[in-house]
Amino acid sequence: MRPTARLLTGSALVVAAGLVCAPAYAGDSDGLEIFPSSAVPGGQVTVNTAACGDGGTAQGDASAVGADSFTLAPSTHEGDAIGQFRVPSSAQPGTYEIAATCAEGGRRVTGDLVVTLTSQRQPVHPRGSVKTGVGGALGPDPVQTAAGVAALAVAAAGGTWLLHRRARGDGI
Amino acid sequence: MRKRSFGNTVIAGVTVVALCTGAWLLRSGAETHAPPQPSAAQAHSRTGGTGGRAGVPALPPSPPDRVRIPAIGVDAPLMGLALTRSGSLDVPPAGRKNLAGWYEAGTTPGETGTAIVAGHVDNAEGPAVFYDLGALRKDSAIEVDRRDGSVAVFTVDAVEVYGAKDFPDEKVYGAASRPELRVITCGGGYSRSTGYRGNVVVFAHLTGNR
Repeated sequence: MRPTARLLTGSALVVAAGLVCAPAYAGDSDGLEIFPSSAVPGGQVTVNTAACGDGGTAQGDASAVGADSFTLAPSTHEGDAIGQFRVPSSAQPGTYEIAATCAEGGRRVTGDLVVTLTSQRQPVHPRGSVKTGVGGALGPDPVQTAAGVAALAVAAAGGTWLLHRRARGDGI
Repeated sequence: MRKRSFGNTVIAGVTVVALCTGAWLLRSGAETHAPPQPSAAQAHSRTGGTGGRAGVPALPPSPPDRVRIPAIGVDAPLMGLALTRSGSLDVPPAGRKNLAGWYEAGTTPGETGTAIVAGHVDNAEGPAVFYDLGALRKDSAIEVDRRDGSVAVFTVDAVEVYGAKDFPDEKVYGAASRPELRVITCGGGYSRSTGYRGNVVVFAHLTGNR
C-alpha cells in the first residue's frame, strides 16, 4: 500500500501547490531556497527550488535536523518545486543542511537552515513614507485626446458635406 | 425629396454629436488624472475598537507569492523588498506596472504581526498596480496566495492618507498582536518638485484562509 499512499499524498500536494501562483522573481537561484532561513524548534519551514525543471518533483531530506523526509511538488510557478517540513521540537540550535534530490536526473540541491531557541526574526520596521509613484498617471490621456481628434474630424466631414449640399441648393 | 432631407437630418445630427463628443474628449483628456484618494469615511473610526469582521487564528509563516484585491481589479505577483539605506521600505522596479512587493524581513501575510505590501501608484508611462488603492473601501477583501499553497484572506479596516512629513511609523509598521496587513502606495497630493506628498495606507486583518 505504501506506493499508493505516497502517490495520493503526492497528488494532494500537487493540488495544494496548484494554488500557488507565480512569484515575481523567477527562480533567481538553482539552489534550495529555505523560508524562514532561521526557525525555532516546532516551526514550519517551506523550501522551494527551480533545479528540477518544469513540473519536476523532488525528495526532500531534512534528516540532519531530525525531521521526516518530505516531497517537493511542482507548482504553477515556472519549474519551482515546493515542499514543507516541521522542525522537531527536540531540535538543538545550530546550522543544518537541508537537501532535495530531483526525482528525474537525481540532481541534489542544498540550503542551510539555522535553528535557534528563541525567534530571531525580530524585524526592523521600515521608517517613513514609501516612494511608489512619479506622477506619470497625471498627464493628459493620449488615447482620449486621439479619440477627441477623431470625433472632431467626423464632425468636420459632416459639416463640410452639409455645407456642400446647401451650396448646391439641395435643401436642408 | 423626403428621403434626402431625412438623410441630411441624420448627417446633421451625427455632426452635432461628433462635435460635442470631440470637444468633451479633448477637454477631459487634457485634464490631469490624479489617482483616487480615500474619503474621511474610510479612515479609522474615532470611537476605537477593532470592529468589522472577526479575526481568525494566525497561519504558520510562509512567503507570499501573489496579491489580489477584487474590488479594484488588482491581481499581481509579489517580490521581496528590503530597506533602503535611509531605512525606508524599498519599492519594486518602476518599469513593471503590474508588480507589487512585500517586506521580506518582516512578518509574512497571515502570520501574527504586521505584514507589509507596497506597490506603485504610477510610473513614467501611466497608472500602475495600486493606482486605484485609494478607492478601496472598508470591508473589502484582500487575498494573498502563499507559497505553502494556502490563501490568506484579509478584510479592510481602514484606508488612510498620511503625509511624508509626519508619517506615523508605529501605526503603519508597528507590531500587532493579530495577523494584520498593510498595503501601501503613493498618494496625498502631488507637487511637480517633490512628487507625491505622502502615502495611501490600507489597514486590514486576517479574517479567513483556504
